Amino acid sequence: MEMIDALRADAAKVLADGRAKVVIGYQARGDHRAPLFVTTADRAASLVYDDACKQNLAVYLRKPEVKLLGKAAVVASPAAMRSLVLLMSESQLTGDDALVLAVGVGEYHGVLELAQVAPLLKEKYAALAPSPELLREIEKLAAKTPEERAAFWAKQFAKCTRCYACRAACPGCYCTRCIVEKNVPQWISTAAAGHGNYAWNVIRAFHLAGRCTGCGACEAACPQGIPLMLLNVLLGQEVEKEFETKAGYDPEAKPVIGSWNPEDEEDFIK
Amino acid sequence: MKVIEANKLPGLAAALAGAGYRVVAPIRDGGEVRMVVWSPGAAIDTRAIPVNSAKDFLFPKAEIIGRCTLDGNDFRPEDVKPVAPKTVILAARPCDASAMLLLDAVFNWDYKDEFFNARRAATTIVSLVCTTADEQCFCTSVGGAPDATAGADGVLRQADGGRSFILEPLTEKGKAVAAAAGAALAEGQAKADAPVEVPVHFDAKAVTEWLGENFESPLWREVSLACLSCGACAYACPTCHCFDLQDEATRAESVRLRNWDTCGLALFTAHAGGHNPRPDQAARWRQRVMHKFSYLVERLGRLGCTGCGRCARLCPAGMAICETCREIDEARKAAVK
Amino acid sequence: MTENLYQPILMRVADVRDEAPEVRTFRLQFADDADRARFFEKYRVGMFGLYGVPGAGESVFCVASPPTRQEYIECTFRRTGRVTSALADREVGQPITFRGPYGNSFPIESWRGKNILFVAGGIALPPLRSVIWNLLDRRAEFRDITILYGARTVADLVYKQELADWGARSDVRLVTTVDPGGETPDWKGQIGFVPTVLDQVAPSSAEAVALVCGPPIMIKFSLPVLTKLGFTPDHTYTTLENRMKCGLGHCGRCNVGSTYVCRDGPVFTLDQLRRMQTTDM
Repeated sequence: MEMIDALRADAAKVLADGRAKVVIGYQARGDHRAPLFVTTADRAASLVYDDACKQNLAVYLRKPEVKLLGKAAVVASPAAMRSLVLLMSESQLTGDDALVLAVGVGEYHGVLELAQVAPLLKEKYAALAPSPELLREIEKLAAKTPEERAAFWAKQFAKCTRCYACRAACPGCYCTRCIVEKNVPQWISTAAAGHGNYAWNVIRAFHLAGRCTGCGACEAACPQGIPLMLLNVLLGQEVEKEFETKAGYDPEAKPVIGSWNPEDEEDFIK
Repeated sequence: MKVIEANKLPGLAAALAGAGYRVVAPIRDGGEVRMVVWSPGAAIDTRAIPVNSAKDFLFPKAEIIGRCTLDGNDFRPEDVKPVAPKTVILAARPCDASAMLLLDAVFNWDYKDEFFNARRAATTIVSLVCTTADEQCFCTSVGGAPDATAGADGVLRQADGGRSFILEPLTEKGKAVAAAAGAALAEGQAKADAPVEVPVHFDAKAVTEWLGENFESPLWREVSLACLSCGACAYACPTCHCFDLQDEATRAESVRLRNWDTCGLALFTAHAGGHNPRPDQAARWRQRVMHKFSYLVERLGRLGCTGCGRCARLCPAGMAICETCREIDEARKAAVK
Repeated sequence: MTENLYQPILMRVADVRDEAPEVRTFRLQFADDADRARFFEKYRVGMFGLYGVPGAGESVFCVASPPTRQEYIECTFRRTGRVTSALADREVGQPITFRGPYGNSFPIESWRGKNILFVAGGIALPPLRSVIWNLLDRRAEFRDITILYGARTVADLVYKQELADWGARSDVRLVTTVDPGGETPDWKGQIGFVPTVLDQVAPSSAEAVALVCGPPIMIKFSLPVLTKLGFTPDHTYTTLENRMKCGLGHCGRCNVGSTYVCRDGPVFTLDQLRRMQTTDM
């Protein structure tokens, strides 16, 4: 059976069984892929899955109107599955909040309970790495002088309109009030220009350091084509190097930024 | 007629820049084409639909509209004048040009906004007859056309199978641009290429009517499920004009900024006390559709949508206002039967 | 020749009064007398202004003083966010920025010879206070004036001195009330929610108009009582306080359906409110 047929069959089945009230998957609209919310088994045949599916559907699990539909089964790639584990580790998602229609690399893993996601990731996708092109771009950027790098990012961030599509598309950006919306005091200028754009994009990257699961949904969402994954992956590499941890594999993990160890060897913080 | 070879468009831009115009044009940079200020060497691309709209040059994403000199607890308001350089927008799509008429109406509705008006007065819009379109284009559903000239001071028509362009001035401003172009434009003959065909997807009048009676429709929740609450659609839109006012200060001075804002974000209408009259994304998406297809029609006699399709092209969640309007039109037809 | 719509005028804080916890009234004097003259040429009760502190921003409040007093204006606000905190920190003699007046007004000229009922709750008395003083300054032109004002607790009542003054007048019927549990041992007013007390006070609707301002829950439960008493929707007024930024009908923030609160309001009849596209009322 083709992978997509198996996915559709599972979607229809979880809806028919009542294990889920809604399947969150993808539909084709021309060359575009859009989310599809399937609530009846007979519509499961409209689901598609291919490389054009860039959105991380885990983001919908927090949306109030989607929650109103009832328990969801979400179509998730390995990167999106890592988001689910991240959300579990940060107490945003618990045991039976959702089911997962787990789409792997070149294979389909069927319907999983949330608890089964981390074991699958560790077994099959522990070595999930950013694309070679992306790694090459990061190396190229690292080889530049600080001035050249600053000029590169200044040009990229100048395009930012502060639409916050990156934040909206990211399952990890779930704060009910984002730091950019806090105005007593105003931490970050909200004008889509200069230092505010710089601050917004860099602070968002830092808030995702050690939390970004590499799905790339933010970069895909950015209407201005800002290469946000260059920042996110770079910070992820640093965190991995310094703390020997990768986001989205351990539902019991403590967040790197946000946890503290009294035995820490570094003395700068004492 | 005034004719220019297609590969000489940069020459036209250079001539106009030489005549003192800030020249805005669709420029290709890597994989993207955007409306940006032309500089020597920039590649003008009239085939792709630019990522951003021409609105950016009339209503910038952030603008200083107030300034105070600070002195401890005392301060002095300073005069702030609009930044309005003489500008020509070359090869704006007809959907961008016609959007200017809506912006004119909004920014001159009783109170006249001198920042917008000064730039509008200083700007000449030379639109481009579309010979390319994509599946997101729907100008013909909202009263536009690939060869419409509403809002334009002049029009560029692709001719002779793309080898050249005809520049036809439509207003005094347009004539001034043609004159400023000098030798970059030649007197000659060319045969204009046929505009692209854009299919009609829905009946806008019927949509407006339906909206007037369906504020509480269950359709709003259904069609807004995918909407993630961001400003990608509004900031790409040539007619969206909502804004925020924000102060920023150093010890010596404060500025009051007018920044783009959008009804898609929850905080847009949230009261200081915590109450929000648009509590969910269904209410916010409804506001977006209602504002464009009902409220502006009622208040200013114009649709707030020119069918450029940018919102759908850029939406990270596949939302498309054209699709919503089509569904509304279908719901209406089903109700009539 | 157009001018910068956003250019504020300068006002100086002439007096500060603490009304209730975190609620403060400013008396503001125009730094420039020409600005004062321009303001009072336009100002009618119900209109609002934008009060600001450079570096913090602007906030919208109604003008709480009447056009019958032309030496100053007053506003009353609660410290809630960035701007209101910066405003509350201003002291006597210090400047603030001001834009306005904007919006529509209460049609008080059409109320001459009528009975007027005010129903207000909590921090929402300021929009009605300007009307009350306007009518009292022209007392002979209006008939009975009844004011019902309630707050959660005695401490939350604003304009305490004025309440005492109004209560002492023979040409005003003032009823004050606090929510059950909000009274103090020496509280002399009523105890009960505004709608309940309104029902008990039962003012006549003959030749009368009603003005209602308060939290949504108070308005929601007061309207049926007013209807029962015979106040018709076209003779019942309120003000809307939506979030606003420009005050000019441009920024697109305050609209309720096709109604722009900043241009078409903030004063609306109940009749108009009921025709608005909102799920909020």
